[in-house]
Amino acid sequence: MNLRAFRLPDRIGRWDHLIGAALGGCYVASLLATAGGIGFMRDESTYFAAANAYVRWWLLLFERGSDALRQGVIDASWGYNHEHPALMKTLFGVSWWLLHERWHVFRFASDAYRFPAMCMAGIALYVTYLFGAQAWGRAAGLVAAVLLALMPRVFFHAHLACFDVPIMTMWLVCVYAHWRSEETGRLGWAIATGIAFGLALETKHNAWLLPAVIVPHALFAQRRSLLRGLRVGRVSLPASLVSMAVLGPIVFLALWPYLWNDTLARIEWWFDFHLHHTYYSIEFLGRNYRGPQSPKSYLPVMVVATVPTITILLFVVGTADRAGAAWRRLRGWAVLRSGDTAGPHEPSPRGETDLLVALALVVPMVPFFMAKTPIFGATKHWLPAYPFLALLCGRGFVLASSAIQRALRSSGVDRSRLVIDVGLFATVALGPLAITAHATPFGLSTYVPVVGGTAGGATLGLNRQFWGYTSQNAATEYLNSRAPRNATVFIHDTTFDAWLEMQREERVRADLRPVGAPHDSRFALVEHELHMNELDYAIWVVFGTDAPTYVVTHDGVPIVSIYRR
Amino acid sequence: MSADRLSTILSKPWRSWLVAAAIPSAALLELGAHVIQTCSVVGEADWKAAREYVAAQIRPDDLLTFAPRWADPLGRQYFGANLATIEREARADESAFPRAFEVSIHGGHDPSLVEWRRTDRRRFGGVLVTTLENPAPVRVLDDFVSMAASASRVHVSIVQGGAEVDCPFSRGAPGSGALGFGPAVAADRFACPGGNLVAPTVLADPDYYPARRCIYARPPGAGGTLRLRFLGVALGRSLRGHHALYAEAEQPAQGPPVTIAIGIEGSLVGQAVHRDGESWKEFEFDTSGYAGTHADVVVDIGAPSAERRMYCFEATSR
Repeated sequence: MNLRAFRLPDRIGRWDHLIGAALGGCYVASLLATAGGIGFMRDESTYFAAANAYVRWWLLLFERGSDALRQGVIDASWGYNHEHPALMKTLFGVSWWLLHERWHVFRFASDAYRFPAMCMAGIALYVTYLFGAQAWGRAAGLVAAVLLALMPRVFFHAHLACFDVPIMTMWLVCVYAHWRSEETGRLGWAIATGIAFGLALETKHNAWLLPAVIVPHALFAQRRSLLRGLRVGRVSLPASLVSMAVLGPIVFLALWPYLWNDTLARIEWWFDFHLHHTYYSIEFLGRNYRGPQSPKSYLPVMVVATVPTITILLFVVGTADRAGAAWRRLRGWAVLRSGDTAGPHEPSPRGETDLLVALALVVPMVPFFMAKTPIFGATKHWLPAYPFLALLCGRGFVLASSAIQRALRSSGVDRSRLVIDVGLFATVALGPLAITAHATPFGLSTYVPVVGGTAGGATLGLNRQFWGYTSQNAATEYLNSRAPRNATVFIHDTTFDAWLEMQREERVRADLRPVGAPHDSRFALVEHELHMNELDYAIWVVFGTDAPTYVVTHDGVPIVSIYRR
Repeated sequence: MSADRLSTILSKPWRSWLVAAAIPSAALLELGAHVIQTCSVVGEADWKAAREYVAAQIRPDDLLTFAPRWADPLGRQYFGANLATIEREARADESAFPRAFEVSIHGGHDPSLVEWRRTDRRRFGGVLVTTLENPAPVRVLDDFVSMAASASRVHVSIVQGGAEVDCPFSRGAPGSGALGFGPAVAADRFACPGGNLVAPTVLADPDYYPARRCIYARPPGAGGTLRLRFLGVALGRSLRGHHALYAEAEQPAQGPPVTIAIGIEGSLVGQAVHRDGESWKEFEFDTSGYAGTHADVVVDIGAPSAERRMYCFEATSR
């Protein structure tokens, strides 16, 4: 093949699926390559156990189906961690059983548990690329996918056997399928929307908000046919809405055996659990929040402090462009309504992409402006918004590239669009790449340069970590090499299950004995968060010293203090 | 500005130049800032040099602080417990220190020293040591928290229904736990009937920072009073103190108030009430009538209920 003559076809097609898949594949590979440095979160240790329980039930179902279907057996397996739906935990379990236990693809169980969530991150890039390419061109899609991948918090959460990146992906997939349904009018995409909605519900409760994106968009996009139908006394609902209403609950219920008995009561409990969720402590601007009123500035400040600034700038450019387009449409409508058919107006795009992207971006963020919404998850609870933020970045990139080409031409310099795109892409991707690569494994401690980096975030009083996963770093940097044999370690926020799994995987020395109270320990860890100072001070009292023997740092900022008695 | 107007402005030719310059410049600026920030970590040698200087200068009654506050664990690690003592780290306030050494990195400053006069400043690489003088230092005569560390100068009891029951000083296993346990209890403490332990501790109040060195003294509730009799206290013009509850005990702010009453020679010199949400709260009582004398000081602590009343106080005569 003559590479110089090679040119991608204008139509988005199989080459683009290859590009998207390659992006996703590279991302999964990079996640796998860096996962060993990230300790196990408190929640992961719960999900590992749930994954094992769920996959054992599936094995039992295949071996002794009628036994497995008895309520007592279902509840014994699926009753564990039933506050979250089962899809991802089932996938973690299946991956563990097949890729670790049976086929030995992964040496360590944790890689197998984490693999499905990593694949979900890869799928997010794939779909983001396709969405962007189809909406605003290949460059937009590519930049959107890459800048989504290079958000430090997204990269961090994409490693974990948790649900935050998977729900980001399922949110995106559902919105994309609906968009394609509107664009193409094909029934297949409408069915895919319903299935995706069911899978999203089965991933995490963020999916409850998806109808707030899809319903108004679908009604607006099909307003003319709806009105025409109503005029003749016929109600013709958009196909993707019907599909969501019918297939969504079926998929949701089918994949969660815990709901097969006492269905309504258990669904009600599930809603109640999340609508009245416990507040956990989190620091924001130097203050500990552990209940309402949640600060309304939390989301904007955290977005600015954690998403690379160039990404936000491109988002602003892209958003300004789409807002301008929306304004022109509004003005056109106004002119038409006034009877001036010769005035300027823009035709209605079939998929109403701008409206859909705007809704899919804004809806996941809305709850975080409410005073009663807990904020303990830092940025992870609004990750579903980020692919759409990235898509608008992609649009911003295309505009920036065009502007550069125009500027160069006006100065008599003529460069091909490809050269400009490649140069600009390298320029805008390098910073996020450097920040994201440097953030690992301390993704939750990392803040972007505009607020002063990790040290700047700490100075501002922004949360430095949660979930107790940095005890692994305490082990690799200090305990594994310097603690005496069989020493006891107060493992602070790390769960015993997580610690034992880290020992099984040789991340933590096997003889180090975890204990649950400082006074029982010879070594005590403090994973620094503002409210965890309580344990720092307790250690001072029982150890008789306030001087840690070693401090794990990231960019010079304390992450874990290690005390030795 | 309307979107239409914005659109018109952005369609001007200079927009191309603006975007052409702004986007790559911003990207490169961010990259450069990242490189600078990640390369500006303060090295161990700088910390140690600063420590040597401070160790040579500092006097027992001087304050040592680290700024910004996130640098505190590093300061304690490099300066050690002999310089960064618990008394300095977990001080009630700064009023008793005549001089302070502020050890700072990344341009941080301890906001509690903003009124103090700067007398010296030395830089050791990335570490800046500033010497400051307290414009109005106060001389402490007796520190109740230090007195409570042994049985020689404190007698603890519970007064309930007119009867007073001793809480003997004893040595046991220290008490601590995971998050939510509350203040740790040292091995040496006064053990009251019913399991109430009284001892110096370091408290996390609802602000969580700084640490607060105080006497963990839970009221017994049910109309009872926890009584601490401090023996032979050197008295001055006032008794000044602070009190608070353990952070999680003050949230949500629904617990009953805790009252501290202080008496000398059978006379009440003052009483203060701590309500949930008030955090580390100051109280001060006039003792000028006793200035220059030594007397027993009786501290009574009570609350309508003992539940989650994880109370702590400190006081000094001055």
